[in-house]
Amino acid sequence: MKRDWVILVCGAAAIGALGWSGDNYFIRLLTILCMYATLAQSWNFIGGFAGYPSFATAAFFGLGAYTSGVLQNQGLPILMCWGLAGLCAAVFAVLIGGAILHLRGHYFAIATLIIAEMLREIVNTTPNLTGGGMGLNLPILRISVDVQSRVFLLAMLVLAVVTTAAAILLQRSRLGFGLRCIQQNESAASILGVNAYQYKTAAFGMSAVFVGMAGAIYASWVNYIEPPDVFDILIAVKPLVMVLLGGIGTIFGPIIGAMVLLALEELVWRNFLTVHAAALGVIIILLVLFLPNGLFSLLKDLSAKRAKQ
Amino acid sequence: MSREWTSKLLTRFAIAGAILGSAVVAGQAQETIRVGAPLPMTGPLAPEGAKQKKGYDLWAETANAKGGIKANGKTYKVEIVYFDYASNTPRAVQGAERMITEDKVNFLFAPFGSGASKAASSVSERYGIPTIAATASSAEVYDQGYKFLFGTLTPNETVTEPIANIVTSKNKDVKKVAILARNDLFPLAVAQQMEKSLKAKGMEIVAFERYAIGTMDHSAAVTQMRAARPDWVYATGYVNDLILIRKQMNELGLRPKVITMVAGPAYREFAEATGPLGENISSVAWWHPAVRYKGKDVFGTTEAFNKAWDAKYKGEADYAEASAAAAGAILQLGIEKADSIDPKKVRDALASLDVETFYGKVKFGPSGQITSLEPPVFQLRGGKTVVVWPEAVKQGELEFFK
Amino acid sequence: MIYFQILANGLMLGALYACIAVGFSLVWGVLNVINILHGTFIVLGSYIAFFAFRFAGIHPFVSVFIAGFVLFLMGYAIQSAMINRVIAAPVLITLTLTFGIDLVLNNAMLVAFSADYRKINLPSPLPSFEVASIFLPGDRVAAMGLALLLTILLYFLLRATNVGRAIIAVRMDREAAALMGVDVKRVNAITFGIGALMAGATGALISVIYPISPLNSSAFLGKAFVVCVLGGLGSVPGALVGGLMLGVLESFGGFWFGPEHAVTLSFGLLLILLFARPGGLLGKRGYE
Repeated sequence: MKRDWVILVCGAAAIGALGWSGDNYFIRLLTILCMYATLAQSWNFIGGFAGYPSFATAAFFGLGAYTSGVLQNQGLPILMCWGLAGLCAAVFAVLIGGAILHLRGHYFAIATLIIAEMLREIVNTTPNLTGGGMGLNLPILRISVDVQSRVFLLAMLVLAVVTTAAAILLQRSRLGFGLRCIQQNESAASILGVNAYQYKTAAFGMSAVFVGMAGAIYASWVNYIEPPDVFDILIAVKPLVMVLLGGIGTIFGPIIGAMVLLALEELVWRNFLTVHAAALGVIIILLVLFLPNGLFSLLKDLSAKRAKQ
Repeated sequence: MSREWTSKLLTRFAIAGAILGSAVVAGQAQETIRVGAPLPMTGPLAPEGAKQKKGYDLWAETANAKGGIKANGKTYKVEIVYFDYASNTPRAVQGAERMITEDKVNFLFAPFGSGASKAASSVSERYGIPTIAATASSAEVYDQGYKFLFGTLTPNETVTEPIANIVTSKNKDVKKVAILARNDLFPLAVAQQMEKSLKAKGMEIVAFERYAIGTMDHSAAVTQMRAARPDWVYATGYVNDLILIRKQMNELGLRPKVITMVAGPAYREFAEATGPLGENISSVAWWHPAVRYKGKDVFGTTEAFNKAWDAKYKGEADYAEASAAAAGAILQLGIEKADSIDPKKVRDALASLDVETFYGKVKFGPSGQITSLEPPVFQLRGGKTVVVWPEAVKQGELEFFK
Repeated sequence: MIYFQILANGLMLGALYACIAVGFSLVWGVLNVINILHGTFIVLGSYIAFFAFRFAGIHPFVSVFIAGFVLFLMGYAIQSAMINRVIAAPVLITLTLTFGIDLVLNNAMLVAFSADYRKINLPSPLPSFEVASIFLPGDRVAAMGLALLLTILLYFLLRATNVGRAIIAVRMDREAAALMGVDVKRVNAITFGIGALMAGATGALISVIYPISPLNSSAFLGKAFVVCVLGGLGSVPGALVGGLMLGVLESFGGFWFGPEHAVTLSFGLLLILLFARPGGLLGKRGYE
């Protein structure tokens, strides 16, 4: 556990130092990295620890972005908006979780997928509040470009660190233990006295709060948001792939996965003008087929355990 | 120094390969003017991205063939740096920042459409890089008080007023209008503008339906509109939406006197895909190959532009393609007028332009959006577009369905 | 009277939805693979019909068989060469794999055919006919008929042939089927092939209705998802009921609440259904 904290502090310091000295585009890449690290880490709470494949990341992200955007336009201070966005996403997750957390496997996945789609359509059809299909402008910060890029890197970095710290604490806590029991055998866990329903709801709420805040910071960062952007299905899919890449149910797996996937993406994007999607596809195929023991080894162990049951 | 240090550290990470390429680019000497163009070459907007690229390419080729751009006593070659943002707006914003900070582009062409142009312009504004948007017409794009953003399409009301005038003045029996709009920035804005223009003419709006992006069936909307018995159906969306709407209108027996669609009939693909069903559909575009201007720009007259286009791509350009070429030509006029490639000076020169081009008269309003175009109204006949307004370039009269 | 028109619209749309979903449902139910490629397979079928029509003048309804055959071979090859290697892995892994293959295939189509929307214009399209002021578009009715026919054929293939029984055996219990001498890998490949066949045939069928572009694939995939959940996985009648239901629902929803709410409504219903009856309308409880 101590080692985890050391790695976290060193990693955060390294990213901070790199960011401070890099140019603005490099800072943007690091900011995106921190954002996806937060998303992947958050997905891990429900998808990794509890074993519930959620696609609700996009819903929480978009909800956070729009909550903060609307509130900021009402003149509330920016930090307060970010906090309220996280709160709103968490409350939403707990409420929705009550309705869908009894579903298992595919059905849970689909239900979470639908939630993002529904939120998107709701935003689209309430133009008076959210701007609808016209998108939503956020107030522009009147500070220099260089300062601005660093401020947002710092915000995303702090968020990623807090999320990871939560993961470290969770792993050793009673909640974390209970979630792993649920992941391995939910009915057995219930017999052992784990209140599965409460635990799952807590994990779902945790997987929402930081994502909502990430969405809020993102909205302030780009100044203008549209429903298709912040409720994009890719926002749900990428964190999942990152966790799979880096190691499911681990502390630093999601972060490593985020780094690897974003680096690969940047690489193919730079080198293939119109066939970058295919290049990325080939990489994914090769990873799945030929590295099952490398990056996916942990997952294999998990599936072996499941098969035994 | 810091860049060196950064790259050194990075080599230890797997990312190194990705970042290195950019360091090399940044070191190049500038005898060229580099213009960044983030385009949707893949994803849902890919057909639109391809059009813009054709326009930019033709401009760069023409400018270079005529000896490049002269400014500041030097001659610059034009180079366009492309970036595919896969129809994903956040990627477009990221691409814009990369082009400015790493590829060191001098100027920028905005991404496709109103939404992405608006998002990307916040980056170029921060860096003070003059940016020309070739496909953003909604006034909301230009209402943020930005100084470095210029648009080559006139506001939406310029494409709704003329057609409202022509139809109402030509046929007094047209009284009831049904509007079907895609729930998306541009199509919705133009439909709402149309509603205003029609109401001002005393027309009755008997239906105003919106459909979601990615709708695969319009039968409910068409059935509902049919029940309202409109004389005129006005539909907005992109090519694929409009093709489907036209087909379903026919299938379900919705047969008004006038059908107007924006924006699609200007594209060859629309005429090809609808075939006989395309007949008599009217539309508006910001430009049409039949217009005639004597340009002071690199292309010269509209005829000369049409010839250059035909030589390279065979056939005629549509408004989106011409607007992209015009964006380049206008940028060139701005640079030459400023006699410098300094972003601030070019910005000021662009803001004060008042000149005729192959594309039309070019003068930007205080918000940066062009105010001087007269978008022609046309109608499809036999798979070809026939201009029915303005009078000066008219090729025929507006026809009504029987 | 207008309600009959809305109902007719919904049924015609629903038959297409059923056809779009049935192959997807089969693969999901039998192989436990969420086949992201399904939408791209459909588009590929449409392109086969498009080029067959343009260069050989073959009617798209005839191309249904050509497209089905080509896609069957393709599906069989993809399953044997790639997916079979990880077929036992958790569903997220196979999903990621098909996602990767989809990126490659879709990108290849984009480069080869361009993203421009194309459309088949039949020289003599079937006319719309009007029955008691209900308009029935000829080619939609024909497509609906063919869609139902294909679906019923698939149903009998599964019930009445040895291959079909082997597929059902694998769906019920993979290990037991293997013990009984079923070549599970081959059955897997055939099943995936049939899923692709249905996609290809559907693609050819709807090429007379929708503009064709690689960009449509995700819309088709989304509909297949919803239909499957509505009707229940892996059952042909389930896909049919789910498809028809979604079609009718979207039609009436769009009529009553405006077309922009049609999608929200169908999703809302799906959520309620998931809440109340997770196995789908015709799904068997506890079977997954």
